Amino acid sequence: MSQFKINVNGSEHSVDVAPDMPLLWVLRDVLDLTGSKFGCGIGACGACTVLLDGSEQQSCQIPVSAVGHRKVTTIEGLSKDGNHPLQRAWIEHDVPQCGYCQAGQIMAGAALLKKNPHPTDADIDDVFASHICRCGTYQRIREAIKAAAGVAK
Amino acid sequence: MRHLPTHSRSNQGGGGGGKVSNRLDISRRSFIQIVGGVGASLALASFSSLACADLGGAKAAKLKKGVVFAPNAFVKVDPDGLVTVSIIAPDAGQGSRTSLAMLVAEELDVDWHNIRVTQAPTDSAVYGNQGIGGSHTIVSLYQELREIGAATRAMLIAAAAKTWEVDPTTLKTAKGHVISADGKKSVAYGDLTAMAATMPLPTVKAELKKSEAFNLIGKGATRVDNPDVVTGRAKYGLDVKVPGMVYAVVARTPAFGASIKSFDDSATKKVPGVLEVVQIPSGVAVVGTNTWAALSGRQALKIDWEMGSNADLNSAKITEAMKAAVEPHPDMPAGSKSVEASLQFPYLAHATMEPLNAVADVQEGRCTIWTGSQQPTGHQKDVAGLLKIPVEQVTLNVMLLGGGFGRRLYDEYIIDAVNVSKAIKKPVKLMWTREDDMKHDNYRPACFCSFRGAVDGSGNPVGWSHQAIQAGMGGRPSINYDIANASNKGHTVRIGVPTGPWRSVENTLFNVANECFIDELAHASGKDPFEFRRALLKDDRLRKVLEVAAEKSDWSKPLPAGHGRGIACFHGYGSYAAHVIELSIEGNKIRLHKATCVVDCGIAVNPKGVEAQMQGACTDGLSTALRAEITIDKGGVVQDSWTDYRWMTLDAMPKVEVTILQGGDSPGGMGEVGYPSVAPAVANAVFAATGKRVRKFPIKVEELV
Ligand code: FES
Ligand code: FES
Repeated sequence: MSQFKINVNGSEHSVDVAPDMPLLWVLRDVLDLTGSKFGCGIGACGACTVLLDGSEQQSCQIPVSAVGHRKVTTIEGLSKDGNHPLQRAWIEHDVPQCGYCQAGQIMAGAALLKKNPHPTDADIDDVFASHICRCGTYQRIREAIKAAAGVAK
Repeated sequence: MRHLPTHSRSNQGGGGGGKVSNRLDISRRSFIQIVGGVGASLALASFSSLACADLGGAKAAKLKKGVVFAPNAFVKVDPDGLVTVSIIAPDAGQGSRTSLAMLVAEELDVDWHNIRVTQAPTDSAVYGNQGIGGSHTIVSLYQELREIGAATRAMLIAAAAKTWEVDPTTLKTAKGHVISADGKKSVAYGDLTAMAATMPLPTVKAELKKSEAFNLIGKGATRVDNPDVVTGRAKYGLDVKVPGMVYAVVARTPAFGASIKSFDDSATKKVPGVLEVVQIPSGVAVVGTNTWAALSGRQALKIDWEMGSNADLNSAKITEAMKAAVEPHPDMPAGSKSVEASLQFPYLAHATMEPLNAVADVQEGRCTIWTGSQQPTGHQKDVAGLLKIPVEQVTLNVMLLGGGFGRRLYDEYIIDAVNVSKAIKKPVKLMWTREDDMKHDNYRPACFCSFRGAVDGSGNPVGWSHQAIQAGMGGRPSINYDIANASNKGHTVRIGVPTGPWRSVENTLFNVANECFIDELAHASGKDPFEFRRALLKDDRLRKVLEVAAEKSDWSKPLPAGHGRGIACFHGYGSYAAHVIELSIEGNKIRLHKATCVVDCGIAVNPKGVEAQMQGACTDGLSTALRAEITIDKGGVVQDSWTDYRWMTLDAMPKVEVTILQGGDSPGGMGEVGYPSVAPAVANAVFAATGKRVRKFPIKVEELV
């Protein structure tokens, strides 16, 4: 075990864990931030997606020792009151079915809109080709992103 | 071919897992008890996790002091006027927590934003059987939950009548208020709770609304769990943490029927955070202070396996066994043109997005479970049986399910957690990894369908013989088309691969095969596949969805070269569906352009939910038509994860257009009806584009004939 300092959702946390422990399990098991989900652990589904300095990162694919000073944002920290344009669009468009993949989808969408506030269908395809929704909410994901893009800063 | 060894687990699983048609019965007796005998004293169980469709709604509760009116085990009205509905059906994404609450809210006349839902405790004495399967949730609770809402409303009216000293039959309700006959006086439900709690329980059933008066049913509501899902607050089984809890994963058999000869855990025990290693019936459990420690410890285990009787089993042998079970087809009428075809289907995994897991805390004489289960009452019984304790001593808390599709009708993962907790005397969260889940499912059976049919000189079908040979499960096909002397047979070969119900069960095979072969008969008769079907369909509602699908997809309009449209339909679970898929083929790549989906489920309680089910089932249909398959080698499953069990992703999806028709005045099931006509519409579209037929799923262009 080793000590690591990581910044999650704006707060500094000190964790004493194995250096190879993926960020996902630090978030879920140690910091009790269970919004980021485990879906495969091998970078194949996107359920664990968080932001690392604002960019999309599969948290199952980065060991805690590699996070360094970069700022981690999870679904819990995406907005104060759940008011991020994507969160509001997700509710309005009734995107979730089982909901399990949706934190990852929203975080990927947030990273996309940050880089590219008015994504085309092809831009959306590029990002979401690596995100699985087993319930098949794809149509509404696309609609919600487009709706949010209309209001995202 | 019966020589292939049978795996002992066969189709049983646990918790009556094989029973798909379990109804959510609140028996007549228990309903009357609920309405007429339990009394206002019956407190509802835990309200700690309330969900509400409005963002921030759950915390907006002012918690005004006063009497809570809880006339039955399903509804309570608190002094704020907020109404909490207890949901007895687990929600695996089908939206039961939303649609069931709508039924109560409708008859109670409460605004949707004042509705909260909570998951009911698992208690068959109060709620009857709690489970989801066979698309029965809305169908079986449509009447009962409205009656419960209406009975609660009647008591609130009685309370107002008493306060105002008027005849209750003169009073009306709207938006959470009781209103006087002249409309001049109005009192909020929240201000009536104390008086309502003293009212006698109704002994006769209150009258239900006519459908013209519905405010919610048929109009739609957004999901009650959305605000929690989009903020990460929603709690699935895997998100549960209880004091003193440890984490476990199990090293499982590489082949079905394999067993442990011996294992060496010396390296495992050196992994930091590993606490214990225990052998349980399903394998070797590694327990750690966190998930990663348990996973790392499992990685370091050395297990010597006895591979067992399935060690040589592979997909080729299974296919051979299925083909060998085909019997000669009957002769077709003399002078007719006969057509033969076969279709081969792979095993499919459920692959729920949330891998299987459970938290179990076994203590002396009792046990508490937190998990996602499709059969809470059945699984509670299984745990009681395993621990040899009374069922009342097993508390099973139903969390949100990260997908079900039939997988969580079984409870091996719960049993694993109980076994480990019992062995180590601590609460434990037991998780299956994606790979565990992929390799140890109860799979949709592989199947081989063999057909012979015939058309006469005027292009009318005059013969039909279908033999469906499943590697597991069972059942016999039937057809929706009017063909004289149609023969439909089902056989099962017993193979050592465990099988179980998968969204729409045998219809994933039989209807898909039928709809492909009827297309071949249409082609043989020289007729348009839509017109050919339309002329032969026996059921008016089925014909209607087919016609609307043709119309919405511009069926008769010409397509560019290389494009093709395919059509198919399905009737089951009290509902009707039809699909048209438009695609094109470039080289060996199939590109999907448009999916036209039409459903008639009678009353669509929540049209948004119905549309979501159709979109989801369409995605499943496309995924299994084009991508996903489970294959067997050396007695075990070849696929590991999403990398080789490939599902649709957003970039590959066509535009999905859903049309909802109302062809009846009661709700039909929606969980499964949207699946069985998707894959055949794809296969038929492939034929339209290439002139070549699909003989094997998933479809590969290079395998067309
Ligand atoms: S859990 Fe990280 S990509 Fe699947
Ligand atoms: S909503 Fe269930 S996996 Fe996406």
